[in-house]
This record gives sequence, structure tokens and C-alpha cells, in this order.
Amino acid sequence: MRAFDAMNPAAVTAQILLTACITVFCLEPVLLLISLLCAMAFFIMRSGRKHIGFHIAAIGLPLLFALLNPLWNQHGTTVLFVINQRAYTEEALFYGAVTGLRLAAVLYWFRNFSDLMTSEKLFYLFRGFSPKLALIFCMAVRNLTLFREQMHRIQTAQRGLGLYREGHLLDDVRGGLRVFSILVTWALENGIITANSMAARGYGTGKRSSFTYFRFGKADAILVGAVLLLTALTVCGIMSGRLDWQYYPQRIAPAFSLPYAGTAAAYALLALLPVLCEGKEALTWHCLRQSI
Amino acid sequence: MLVIKSEKIRRILRIALPFAIMPAIVLLMPKRAQSQYYALVSFAMTLMALLLFLAGFERRELGTRRMILVSVMTALSVLGRMLPLMKPITAITVLSAMYLGPESGFLVGALSAVLSNFIMGQGPWTPFQMLAWGLIGLFAGLFAKPLRGSRLLLYGYGLISGLGYSMLLDIWTTVWTYGEFTAAQYLAAVVSSMPYPVIYALSNLIFLMLLAKPIGDKLARIEKKYGL
Repeated sequence: MRAFDAMNPAAVTAQILLTACITVFCLEPVLLLISLLCAMAFFIMRSGRKHIGFHIAAIGLPLLFALLNPLWNQHGTTVLFVINQRAYTEEALFYGAVTGLRLAAVLYWFRNFSDLMTSEKLFYLFRGFSPKLALIFCMAVRNLTLFREQMHRIQTAQRGLGLYREGHLLDDVRGGLRVFSILVTWALENGIITANSMAARGYGTGKRSSFTYFRFGKADAILVGAVLLLTALTVCGIMSGRLDWQYYPQRIAPAFSLPYAGTAAAYALLALLPVLCEGKEALTWHCLRQSI
Repeated sequence: MLVIKSEKIRRILRIALPFAIMPAIVLLMPKRAQSQYYALVSFAMTLMALLLFLAGFERRELGTRRMILVSVMTALSVLGRMLPLMKPITAITVLSAMYLGPESGFLVGALSAVLSNFIMGQGPWTPFQMLAWGLIGLFAGLFAKPLRGSRLLLYGYGLISGLGYSMLLDIWTTVWTYGEFTAAQYLAAVVSSMPYPVIYALSNLIFLMLLAKPIGDKLARIEKKYGL
């Protein structure tokens, strides 16, 4: 099995979106905790100690929601204390914590998704749905770097002409606007030239081929199969109602049962798939290096 | 995403999605635990609406030149959003829509949202942003004639679309954070986010004032020169 990153984009998308969908869809603390931990583990595995700011935001924001929920939410019976003649209940705090957990887990999954799915991969997926849109999207990505370079060039030329007074706020803004205006003129004309060139080369007359080739191999088929099977198991478990928590007016946890444990296990396996893929690859690599 | 090759199935889906599948999901939303499904259903609805819009554009003949200009305007607005203190996406979307038409306006708005979120952070809010900015572009394109005629009207549209954008996204915030949607909670979300919608609307106004001439006139010139 290849590392998760190198899998077919369709398989990667299926895993992340289905896992995230279940996270959004169920309000069950155990499953949410599993989801959050797996997403976090995968994120840390890939990026190490970087992005401390993201960790703080992804954990802090939900915590804030948890603490604030009882202020709007007056359900619940166990009163912790009273603010402004409004009860701050334990049940509402717990409910807030669960929704916060859900938010954090989804934030991590989406972060993983946008780290994994480069625009090239997204283009590959989009192509099936709409080739025209995929082309516009792809060209916009290319234009982004192109315009940045061009902007730098214009700026240098303007400086060379002595049209900038350095360190003067008003002149900086005026100069920036002038550079932007020049860039717009150039970009539009350049776009028309590109379009003419595309038309001359016969754009739209035949089927378009792609630069990158993503193959859908046996490993991808196994991954997609596992994702679908585990998703089906988890959804069946949730639908059975054995996992339903009651939050208001009193918190009642569902009794522990075999379906409960099975569902949690299936979901944990589903959420762990990326970590397993990466882990296996890392292990193989380690063994190969050891044998040298 | 699945590629649907058969024209027949595609046609059936195009009719079934808005008239059968979407209402069915809303009506069949399990009553016992509605709050659990609110976020999911609203997310799914937004996604489907977006797909319907985009699928419609695939069939329309946009023209190579217009297509390229859409990608150029998208890149320009994203480039603007990456600069510090700049939020010109709405302004550029409105201006593109006025000169390139409603479809192009929708595309510039929706694509700018996805593309800029690659830098600002992709999330479950992306489809909502896409739809909100897309609709701002669509309506600007539909009212292109009066907007091109009067600057005052254009500035007014900028203000209203800024407020509208914030209000639309507050719906998402409410559904997402509280798992349900009531008028009181929505009001709370709107009030708690209060200084931002106004600042956002004002910044739209400023960007429209700054960009209406450099971008608007140039688009008008391109339109005239190449006969789009």
C-alpha cells in the first residue's frame, strides 16, 4: 500500500469526506472524540510540530463555544450558578462541549483535506463533473503566480522610473493602486491573447488530455472498499439508536452494549485509515534503511 | 466525483434534484432528533444548489475569451485577498458581473471563494461562501444595466451585498454552533457579529469606489474592443 498522500484522489476524498460527514451528522461524544484524535494524529504525523497556531485555534474556539453555550441555552436541570438571573446549567455546558468537539474534529479533517488535495488533484476530480469549470479553475491557479511575478516586475519598473517615494504612506497606497491598475490592463490583454492562442490550437474541438495521470490501482480499490464498508457499518450502528444520548432535560448516556462498542470500533478503524497508511509506509521505509 | 456518462441519467438528475431529492431530504429529516441533522442537511442543500448552478454553466456556451477572462478576474480577486487589509472579492465580483454577464459573475464569486480558501483555510463554510459570493455576482449581472448607468446605485449595491453576505453566513454560524435554527439564536448571532458586517459593507463600498474606474473601465474597453 502506498502512503495516503499518493493514493488516488478519489479514494482520499472518499475517506476524508465520509469520516467528516459522520462527524457532522452524529452528536455522540465517543465517536467525536475518536474522530478528533485520529484527525489530529494524522495532522501531527504529517506536519510535526509546525502550525501551533492552528492547534490553538482549533482547540480554543470550540472550548469558547462550550463555555458560552449555557448563556443562550436555558435547557437542563442541574444549575451550576446564576448570571444575570439566568441559570448556567451543567447539561448545557456538556452539550456545548460536545458541539465544540464536533467543530474541532471537523476543522482538523478539513485542514487535512486541504493539505492533501493539491489543486492538481482537485482538478482531476472536478474534470469528471465539469471540464470547463476545471479548466477555469486551473488557469486561475496558474494566473495567481503569474500575476504575482508580473506585479513584482511592474513594481520594479515603477521604482526604476522614480515614481515611488519610499516610506511615505500616501505615496505607497497611490503607487500600489497604480501598479494594480497596470496589472489589470496587462492581465486582461494577456487573457485575450491566451484565448486567441487556445482557439488557434483547436481548443474545444476534441477531448482534452491531462498532464498528471492518477492511476486507480488495487490498493486504491481496497481503500475505497474498506471506507465504504466501515462507513456502512458505522451508519447502521448509529441508525440502530443504541448510541443516542439524551442531553436535556437530564443527561442520560446510552447503556454500554455490543453494538455500541462495534460501531465505535468500526468508526475508529475508518478514521484511522490515513494514519495506518502513512504508518505502514514509514515502517517499511525504516526497515529498508535498517537492512542497508 | 462520479462521472455520469449517460445523457439520460444526467437529464433525470437535473430535474429530480431540485424538485424531488432536495424537498424529500428536508421533509424526511427525522423528526425525533432534528437538531442533529440540521447542520448536515443545510450543508447538503447548499452543496446541491451549488452543483446545480455549476452544472448549468457547463452546458451554456460561455465562449473561450469570456472563460479566460473569468479565470483572470478570479485570480485578481484572490490576489487582492492575499494582500494585507484587502478584501476586494465582492467588489471585483460585482464589476466582473456587470461587464461579463451574470454567469461569469457567479463563477468569479464562487471560484474566488474556493481558491482563496486554499490560502485562508478551507472548511465546511466554503460552499456557503461560494453560494453567497456567487449570488452577489449573479444579481449584479442581472442588474448590469442600471448598475452601469449610475455610480450611486453601484455603491448602494456594494453596501447591501456586504450586509447580505454577512447575514447569509450568519445563518451558517447559527446552524453550525447551536445545531438548530431559531429566530432568537439567529438574532443573537447577527448581533454578536455586529461590528463586522458594517465594517465589511463599508470596505466593499471603499473598494468599489477605488476599483470601479481602473477595473470597470478596462473591462468595458475589452468588451468593446473584442466584442464579447
